[in-house]
Amino acid sequence: MNEGLLVAGFALVGAPLLGGLITGADRIITARLQARIGPPLIQPFYDVAKLLGKEQIAVNVWQVFGACAYLMASAIAVVLLALRTDLLVILFTQAVGSVFLVVGALASASPYSQVGAHRELLQVLCYEPLLILVAVGVYLHVGSFKVSDILAWQTPLLSKLPFLFLALGCVLTIKLRKSPFDLSTSHHGHQEIVKGLLTDYSGPILAFAEIGHWLETVLLLGLCALFWTTHWLGMILLAGATFALQILIDNVSSRMNWRWMLGYVWAVGLSLSVVNLVWVQAR
Amino acid sequence: MELSASDPILMPALLFTLILFPFLAAFGAYLAVSDRLLKVIIVVTGVALVTASLVLSAQVPFSFALSPDGPIAFRAVIEVADFALLSLIFYFGWKHRHPTIMALAALQGVLLLYVQFLLSEGQAHWPVFYGDNLALIMIFIISVVGSIICFQALDYMKAHEQHQGLDRSRRSRFFSIMVLFLGAMNGLVLANDMAFFYFFFEVTTLCSFLLIAHDRTPVAVSNALRALWMNCLGGAAFTVAMTGVALHVNSLDLSRLTSAGPADGVLLPALAFLGLAAFTKAAQFPFQSWLLGAMVAPTPVSALLHSSTMVKVGVYLVFRMAPAIRGTFLSHCLAVFGGFGFLAAAALAVGQSNGKKVLAYSTISNLGLMIACAGLNTSAALTAGVLLILFHAVNKALLFLCVGTIEQRIASRDIEDMRGLYTIMPVTALMTVFGVIMMIMPPFGLMLGKWMAMEAAATNLFVIVMVTLGSALTVMYWARWAGILMSDPFAGRFTPERQPWPTWTALGCLCLGGGILSVAAPWLYSLWFTRALSPGYEPPYGVHGGILENAVGAFAVWPLAGVAAVGFVLAVVAVYRAGGARIVKPYVSGLQTDTPGVFTGPLNQPVQARASNYYLSSLFGESRLTVWFNLAAVALLGLILGGAL
Repeated sequence: MNEGLLVAGFALVGAPLLGGLITGADRIITARLQARIGPPLIQPFYDVAKLLGKEQIAVNVWQVFGACAYLMASAIAVVLLALRTDLLVILFTQAVGSVFLVVGALASASPYSQVGAHRELLQVLCYEPLLILVAVGVYLHVGSFKVSDILAWQTPLLSKLPFLFLALGCVLTIKLRKSPFDLSTSHHGHQEIVKGLLTDYSGPILAFAEIGHWLETVLLLGLCALFWTTHWLGMILLAGATFALQILIDNVSSRMNWRWMLGYVWAVGLSLSVVNLVWVQAR
Repeated sequence: MELSASDPILMPALLFTLILFPFLAAFGAYLAVSDRLLKVIIVVTGVALVTASLVLSAQVPFSFALSPDGPIAFRAVIEVADFALLSLIFYFGWKHRHPTIMALAALQGVLLLYVQFLLSEGQAHWPVFYGDNLALIMIFIISVVGSIICFQALDYMKAHEQHQGLDRSRRSRFFSIMVLFLGAMNGLVLANDMAFFYFFFEVTTLCSFLLIAHDRTPVAVSNALRALWMNCLGGAAFTVAMTGVALHVNSLDLSRLTSAGPADGVLLPALAFLGLAAFTKAAQFPFQSWLLGAMVAPTPVSALLHSSTMVKVGVYLVFRMAPAIRGTFLSHCLAVFGGFGFLAAAALAVGQSNGKKVLAYSTISNLGLMIACAGLNTSAALTAGVLLILFHAVNKALLFLCVGTIEQRIASRDIEDMRGLYTIMPVTALMTVFGVIMMIMPPFGLMLGKWMAMEAAATNLFVIVMVTLGSALTVMYWARWAGILMSDPFAGRFTPERQPWPTWTALGCLCLGGGILSVAAPWLYSLWFTRALSPGYEPPYGVHGGILENAVGAFAVWPLAGVAAVGFVLAVVAVYRAGGARIVKPYVSGLQTDTPGVFTGPLNQPVQARASNYYLSSLFGESRLTVWFNLAAVALLGLILGGAL
C-alpha cells in the first residue's frame, strides 16, 4: 500500500517533468531538421509557467471543467500504468481525458473550436480500436491484461507482436498530434481552423491542456516500452527510437484530411492488428 | 443448485403481488376517474412491486409448482388466455387490414393447438415459476426502474395531453397499459412453464402495440403495426421452438431444458428459433425498425420499452438459454451476431442528429453487446452481460426521461437544437451529461460491464474487433452530445429551471441510483453473481477491497471511484474559482459585435458564425448503411438457423 502511494507520487511528479523534457527535445530536433537552432530544452516549462501566470479568461466555465478533467484523467492513467494495473482500464481512463478535452472545446461556440473538437473525435475513432487491439494482442500472447504480468514476461513482446507495434506507432502519430494526422489542433499554427480544438483554451487552462498532453505522451511511450521489457535499456531505446521516428514522419509529411485518415488508419492499422492477432492465436 | 423450499404462504403472496397485482391495478387504473386516484394507484403499485422484489431477494433460488387440485386451474386459464390473446392480435390485424399479422397469429394458434395435442393431460407437473439471481435482478429492474418511469409519466402525460388538446383524457387507458406491462414482465421473468412464458411474451407484444399507437396519429398507428407484426414473428418463432421442445422432451419445462447441459438433436434448432424470438424482441438487425418507429410514442413509453421492459425480454431469453447451448456452434454464432449488432447500431447512431434516434440505436447497440456476451458463454461474459442489463436499464431510463423533459421545453428532439441547453435548463442538462458520462466512462457500472465483456471476448477475434470498433463509435456519438449541451452562450448565474417535483424525483433517483449502484458494484457482485448465475459457471472474479480481480485482469472499482471523485471535486473547485474569470466571446476570426456569434465581415456586413456537428452521413447515414446491415444480419440469421439444423 505504502509502496503503491510512493510509486503514484513519483509518477505524478516525474511524468510531467519527463513529458516536458521530451517535448523540449522534440522542439530542438524538429528545429534542427528545419535548419534552425531551436529553443532551449526546458522551453516547454517556461511556456507553461508563463501560461499559468496569466489572467484566466474563458468563453464558458465548462471549458475550465473540461481542461481540468483532461489533466486529471491523464494523470490517473499514468499513475495506473506506474502501479502496473490492468491495461484496458488504463486505456479507458486515457479515453476519459480525451472526451473531456473535446467537451471543453465544444463548450465554445467558435466554429474553429467546434470543427477541431469533431476532428478530435474522429481521431479518437481512429486510434481507440487500435489501442484496445494492442492490449488484446498483448493479452493473447502473455495471458494477462495486467502490466505487472507483462513486465515479468521473459522474451521481448516485439518479437511476437511486430505488426501490433506498428499499429501502436500509428496511434502514437495521431496522439502526439503529428503530421499527417495533425487534424484537430493544426499544430503548425494559423491554418484553416486556427488552433482547432485549442482555439478558445487560453491562459492557465491552456497550460492544463499542455501538461495533460505531456502526460499522454509519457503514457503512450510507456506503452511502447512494454514491447521490450526484458531490459531497461531496451525499453528506453525502443521508446526513444519510436519517438525519433515520429518526429521524422512529422517533418517529412504534410497534413491530410479526415477521410484519408479514417480510411488509412482503419484499413492499414486494423489489417496489421488483425494479422498479428491471428498469428498470435494460431501459435 | 439447491432450491429453497418455497414458503407455502409467502411465495404465493409474492407471486400475486409481482404478477397479478399489476393486472388488477391496470384494471383499476382503466376505471380511474380522477387524477388523484390514478396517482394513488401508480404509487401503490410501485411501492408494492419494490417491496415484493426486496422480499423476493431472500427467497431465490426457488421453484414453485401449482397444485393441480387448487381452487383455480391456472394452467387451463393460461391456455385459454393464450388463444384469447391470439384472437385479439388477429382482430387488430383484421381491423387494420394487415394480412401478415393475421397470418402470423393464425400460425401461432395452429402450433399452439398442436402443442396442446402433443402433451397429454395430467403430465403438466413441472414447476410453473422459477427464480434465480438473474430473474431477481430483472425483477428489481422492472419493479424499480419501471415504477419510476410510470411515476414520472404522471406529470409528463398531463402536459402531453394539454399540448395535444384532447377533448377527453386518455390517461387512464395509458397508465392501465403501462402497469399491465410491468406485471407481464414480472410474470415472464419468473415463468418456467413455456405456456406461461408465451402468454406473458404475447402480453408484452400487445402492450407495446397499444402504447406505440397511443397518440392515434397515422404514423403512430403504422409504426405500431410494424412493431406488432415483427413481434408476432417473434411469437411465431417462439411457438415453433415450443413445438420442438414438446416433441423432443414431452414437456414445457424451461429449467429442465437449460439445466440439462449442451443441447443436441431436435433441441438445438428449437433453441435457435428461441433465439430468433429473442432477436425480434431485442430489436436486433434486421428487426431494428420497430424500435426506431416506437419513438413516435410519448417519451415514457420509449423509456419503458428501452430500459426495463420489452427489449430486455429478448436479452433475458438469450441468457436463460445460454447454458443449454454452451460450446455449440449456435453459441458461437450468437456471439458474432451480437457483436455485429453492437457495431452496426453504433455506426448508425453516429449518423443521427435526432436525439431519440441516437438513444434508440444506442439501445440496439448495447443489446447486441449483451447478446454477444451470452453467445461467448463463459462465466465472465455472462456476468458482464448481466451487469450491462442492470446498468443499461438505469442509464437509458435516465437519458430518455431527460430527453422527454427537454423536448417538452424546447419542442424539439434534435441534438442541434440542444446547443447551449445549459443556459435554459441547467439541471436537466447536467443530468443528461451525467447520464452520458455513465454510459462511456469508468468507474461507472456500464464501463465495468464493457470491460468484463472485452476481456471475455479477447479470445474471439471476430467479436473483439467488432466490439472495439463499436465502442470507439459509441464514444464519438455520446461525447459530442454531452459537449454541445454545455455550449455557449455563457449562463452567468446558476438558476435551476422549474419542473414538477415528480419529474425531479424520478430524474434524481435515477442519477443517484446509477452512481450508487456503480460504487456498490463489487458488493452486488459478491451478493448476486458469486452464487453462480447457473450451475456450471464458476464466479469469474474475486473481490477484495472493492477490486474485482482474477488472473487475467483487475478493475479497481472503489479506488477508481475515489480518485474520480477527488478529480471531480478539484475540477468543480476550478470551475467555481473560474466563476470570477473574465468571460469573453468565442473566437470567430473577425471583429466581434454585441450579438453572440455575429462578427463584422467584408463590407462591414454582419456575419453569423455557425457550426454544427459532424454526422458524416455520407459514411454513416441510414440511407447508406441500413440496407447492407439488414442483408448482413439476414445472412447471419441464416447461419444461426441453418447451423443449428
